[in-house]
Amino acid sequence: MLYHYIYITVLIILAVMIFACLIRAVRGPRIADRLVAVNMIGTMVMVMIAVLALMLDEGYLVDVCLVYAMISFLAVVILSKVYIGIYEENRHSANGPDHEDKGGMSDGSF
Amino acid sequence: MGAFEWIRLIAGSAFLIGGLVIFFTELFGIFHFHYVLNRMHAAAMGDTLGIASCLIGLIIFSGLNFTSLKLLLIIIFLWFASPVSSHVLARLEVATNENLEAHCRVYTDLATLEDAVVEEPSQAKAAPGAGSDLPAQEQEQNTKGGALS
Repeated sequence: MLYHYIYITVLIILAVMIFACLIRAVRGPRIADRLVAVNMIGTMVMVMIAVLALMLDEGYLVDVCLVYAMISFLAVVILSKVYIGIYEENRHSANGPDHEDKGGMSDGSF
Repeated sequence: MGAFEWIRLIAGSAFLIGGLVIFFTELFGIFHFHYVLNRMHAAAMGDTLGIASCLIGLIIFSGLNFTSLKLLLIIIFLWFASPVSSHVLARLEVATNENLEAHCRVYTDLATLEDAVVEEPSQAKAAPGAGSDLPAQEQEQNTKGGALS
């Protein structure tokens, strides 16, 4: 019963922190701000899922947590690549079709 | 509850509370700093140390079984994934920011980056005396080249 109260307290604190992260994600002036906030929210949700796995005594929730970690990492990497691509495309269309690109970002390498 | 149960409860709670404190520090840093590359520094701390501390507390609560092994696997995966995602986010910020020079110092040429970093303090120091500027730099470069060769 004592462990139950500890888990409930941790879950409530993490929920409040996730709302504060959401404020940062909404207010962030740049896209990288929002992505950093989304990454933080993913980390805190991982801790919440792990706490729930022990609180409800359901072992498979830890597998859900592992898959969530992988998908969160993949989302950050792919969204970064997508926004770099959008920026390059906008710059090309703004500078005309005969613009020579000197940046090293558009060749698909990290 | 025996003594072992109390020790397990206190150790696990200490790790959990430490992880929550690190998460709160991360949140404070996110709102305290003024630029993305500074905020990323605070945010990377919670991805590795915060979640590792929290999950170690949960491992102590759980005991020795497959659940704790999977929690350990999550910690190890995040140790690899968090630097990569931070690197990609910094790449995004540097690639898409038009006026990066307003926030931090930018070295555009990679070939002369080492000389630029080395020469900046000597230039700032030798700014008042213009006559003795060039020989001092030549002498410094000569001694550095001799030490390297």
